[in-house]
Amino acid sequence: MTASRVGDSPARVGGFGRVTGAQQYVADLHPADALHAKLVTVDAAHARIVSVDASGALALPGVHLVLTSDDLPQPVPRFGPQNRDRPVLAVGETKYHGDPVAIVVADTVDQAEAAAAAVRVEHEPLPAVFTIEGALAADAPLVQDPSLREGQALAQTNVLNEHEVGWGDLDQAARGADVVLERRYTFPMVTQFAIEPHAWMAAPDGDGIVVWSAIQHPYWLQRMLAGVLKLPLARVRVVAPDPGGAFGGKQHPKYEPALAFAALRVGRPVKLVLTLEETFQAVRRAACDATVRIGLARDGSICFEDIRADYLIGAYTDIADRVVGKGSYVGAGPYAIPAVRIRGRSILSHTVPSTAFRGFGNPQINWAVESTLDEACEALGLDPLDVRLRNLAAKGQPFIPFDTPCDGDWADSVRKAADMIGWGSPMPEGRGRGIAVGIKSGPTTGLSTSIVRLLADGSVVVYAGTSDMGQGARTVFAQVASQELGAPLDWVTVVMGDTAVVPYDQQTSASRSTVLMGNAVLNACRDIQRKLAAMAARVHGVEAGAVAVEGGVVRLPGGAVLPIADVVAASLGRLGGEITGLGEARKEADPSHPLGGSAAFFEFNCTAIEASVDEDTGDVTIHRHVTVSDVGKALNPLQVTMQDEGAAIMGLGHTLMEHYLFDDEGRIRNLGAIDYRIPTSMDLPRSLESAFVEHEDGPGPFGAKGMSEGALLCVAPAVGAAIHAAARVRIRDLPFSPERVWRAIQERDRGEAGA
Amino acid sequence: MQPFAYSRPGTLAEAVALLEERGPGARVLAGGTDLLIRLRDGSLDPEVVVDVKRVPELAPGIRADDGRLVIGATTTMTEIAAHPVIRHEFAALADAAAYVGSVQIRNRATLAGNLCNASPAADTAPALLVHGAVVVAAGPEGTRRIPLDAFFVRSGVTTLARGELVTAVDLPLPSTRLASAHERRTRRRGHDLAAVTMAVGVDARGAARLAFGSVGPRPVVRVDDTATLGDRSATDADVDAILDRLLGDAAPSRTSMRASPGYRLAMLRVLARRARATALGRLADG
Ligand SMILES: Cc1cc2nc3c(=O)[nH]c(=O)nc-3n(C[C@H](O)[C@H](O)[C@H](O)COP(=O)(O)OP(=O)(O)OC[C@H]3O[C@@H](n4cnc5c(N)ncnc54)[C@H](O)[C@@H]3O)c2cc1C
Repeated sequence: MTASRVGDSPARVGGFGRVTGAQQYVADLHPADALHAKLVTVDAAHARIVSVDASGALALPGVHLVLTSDDLPQPVPRFGPQNRDRPVLAVGETKYHGDPVAIVVADTVDQAEAAAAAVRVEHEPLPAVFTIEGALAADAPLVQDPSLREGQALAQTNVLNEHEVGWGDLDQAARGADVVLERRYTFPMVTQFAIEPHAWMAAPDGDGIVVWSAIQHPYWLQRMLAGVLKLPLARVRVVAPDPGGAFGGKQHPKYEPALAFAALRVGRPVKLVLTLEETFQAVRRAACDATVRIGLARDGSICFEDIRADYLIGAYTDIADRVVGKGSYVGAGPYAIPAVRIRGRSILSHTVPSTAFRGFGNPQINWAVESTLDEACEALGLDPLDVRLRNLAAKGQPFIPFDTPCDGDWADSVRKAADMIGWGSPMPEGRGRGIAVGIKSGPTTGLSTSIVRLLADGSVVVYAGTSDMGQGARTVFAQVASQELGAPLDWVTVVMGDTAVVPYDQQTSASRSTVLMGNAVLNACRDIQRKLAAMAARVHGVEAGAVAVEGGVVRLPGGAVLPIADVVAASLGRLGGEITGLGEARKEADPSHPLGGSAAFFEFNCTAIEASVDEDTGDVTIHRHVTVSDVGKALNPLQVTMQDEGAAIMGLGHTLMEHYLFDDEGRIRNLGAIDYRIPTSMDLPRSLESAFVEHEDGPGPFGAKGMSEGALLCVAPAVGAAIHAAARVRIRDLPFSPERVWRAIQERDRGEAGA
Repeated sequence: MQPFAYSRPGTLAEAVALLEERGPGARVLAGGTDLLIRLRDGSLDPEVVVDVKRVPELAPGIRADDGRLVIGATTTMTEIAAHPVIRHEFAALADAAAYVGSVQIRNRATLAGNLCNASPAADTAPALLVHGAVVVAAGPEGTRRIPLDAFFVRSGVTTLARGELVTAVDLPLPSTRLASAHERRTRRRGHDLAAVTMAVGVDARGAARLAFGSVGPRPVVRVDDTATLGDRSATDADVDAILDRLLGDAAPSRTSMRASPGYRLAMLRVLARRARATALGRLADG
């Protein structure tokens, strides 16, 4: 019976069930009386709904219900984490391919599918916009009715919001620059592609409702449903089985409200599992078109950065405007720069609502800024590594003047990455190296609560409202409890994912859970330690202050050190029972801050790439991919490495192959796995090396920081720089598909190479 | 997915009778790696799916028979890629089979399924065309042999008649070895549908054939009667001139999202040069 310590890498809690298929995801739940739902959509990006005729569908076998917005409370409730602009089902108009007009409920999935196809939706196509240019054109149709945007200055345009941050005097700073470059970089729409399907089930529950959802934020969903259904929170139960990958796509409710109304109507559980094709039409990352002006002095110091980033979001806000605001906010990078201006805009379009996606708006802008910096280095003949080291903020430096100062020894990560890849050392013919850095502002607000129960035999139950979607939160919380309370890992149970059982957690996002929920669990354990100390003192007849409980043991006066498990039963006394601890962790809001709160921590990553290009075909081969993240303290080094590698590989997806392709009518042409390519094991770099830097300088337990997104932030600029070094082509649009690289080489050979 | 009946005939006669009776309402199921996708996406909606994996005449297996190598219809890509005779005598076919999909797909995907699906991108088609494969079809009128070049019509369409199915594919075991190689272009290294496929075969007398796919409605085969491609001393300019002629009528789709016509045409030449080099190398290696 040995306790697990933080810093160990024990086998993943719940991992066996995950890899053997025993774990029950939402789609695996099969209550005997469950019915199946299918969404009804129209083949148009933007259409006026003239009429819906459900009679044919209702006449089909097994069909219970066809629900449209006419059947909902009027006015139809709208919801959304930022703006309440998404109706439960389309009202009057659809605004993107996939916008549901109705939901059909039947005995089987096949019957629901057949019935959905049989619903006749008479509709009139309306003009639609799918691109930034299109959405900003003077005669562009408005995606959102201005009446929904009352009081917004830009309500008569497709610009949902503008975010501007800056400091210093740009003009003055520009005078010190020896080169000023302005470059435009674009980033396509990509999708999260979680392997677990997006799935939900809703059922009446007494006079309330219970909803099962593969969701990252069960408590947001609970609150949203309570609002839409006009139920008290205590009558809305959200059960959130561990998701099988989420990546931001499962943060916010999409179709749960429609499903809930349907379930209340039919009085039975109703289940909806999206196909991959439907998922493409439900979640994606915002595309971005960024223009970066950088001034660099001959000595390598960055004089100024002036950045404009237009993000193409979808038809409803979801969390996209926050993505734009928060992502663009750190756009200038981890550097101490005298003058900066960043203007980010969220632009509405008749496309799938974009939402959170690992990196949260940073990868798009970082690709543009880091790549432009690489070009500026080239223009002055400077080493991109030296320039980065020269400009990095130093620990404690308020590099964003109104935010948390630099909270890491970031140069350590950069030097480590450079050492690992052998920056400056000779390489085989035809190869090139690139290096880039990235930061992301961690959570700006947060509230996590945890209850921990120390049972009479010394075993432990931890309640944590985090969603373990594969990042391994269960393991880390169990490790913290194990270390603090002395129980071995298999004596610790972590209970998650049920708002009727587990206390409040704000959300599982922004790489926050190890820090915020980790602290809540730690605090709950410390609460138990205090109580146990007092109880043990009573039993041993010594003064309360004379007993110490820490690190899984009880220290008695006289030097005796006893395992907690040996003390707890006696301390509980005749009635037995258990000791309950309550822990909380907060990151308070700051209304005066541009983001509503300063960064709890920054994620910092440095990525270095060695690549070659097949000049005949345009194939890019990544020979070496080095990623180093500043993690504070690796509570579980193996999981840190897995998250880092996962983020790096996901970054290779948008860097090398992923993008939505559209036809003229706004349909996604590569809808589904056949023509939307994500990296497979065969697409991995020849060598992928992940390392981390630990200075125990984070706000989490034992100095941990969040780290699950960093390695995705700068893959594209590092690969782009390596391609440039190998083949002398600058490609400013992603992905670096073989054909795109081949075209750039053709242009180079015709003497048209990038400006 | 629409409901359908499932039938698993135990004899060839039963299978043929069912296919003849139901015509387009019936669909043969072998490995299902093409069929199931189309059932699921609704682009095919048969009344009955006829599983032919229990029909003895279609059984998997690779054997030599009277100067030909006979490959049973339901032989999988995994078996083909590993077969020593195929790896030596029909190397392009082994290359192609090893490219198809992923390990799991190759364990299910059959050779006849690849051909009957008649995708212009079918990986085994160019290799089989280069090696002069013949499709053996059984139907209500008995058995007939269809040279592969006379089998493909266009995407999804073959010259199989109502009630016919493929029982085997066979290849002439040549007296002079035709060394061959297969190349393809995809958007990623992991399994993907090819934007260009190319097989080249050369023999010791300098005769050469090449076949390619994904650049028109069906895979096509071309013969180099100038003996240039098979001549290892030919200059790049000579080779390019011949390739221009042999590939001249390739007409890639203008609307495909997998690659532009310009890229496909350029890659046809790149792949032809590479496959030729590999084939010549194999010829030299014996
Ligand atoms: C993930 C994935 C990756 C793939 N990658 C590739 C690839 O890289 N290259 C490639 O070429 N293909 C690829 N494919 C397509 C497919 O795997 C191959 O075409 C395979 O060879 C089909 O064989 P099957 O036995 O699965 O055919 P099935 O799906 O069973 O049948 C295919 C078609 O042929 C008909 N048919 C089958 N057998 C017979 C017969 N004996 N007589 C008459 N008709 C018959 C069926 O009715 C059907 O129309 C891929 C498929 C998937 C799902």
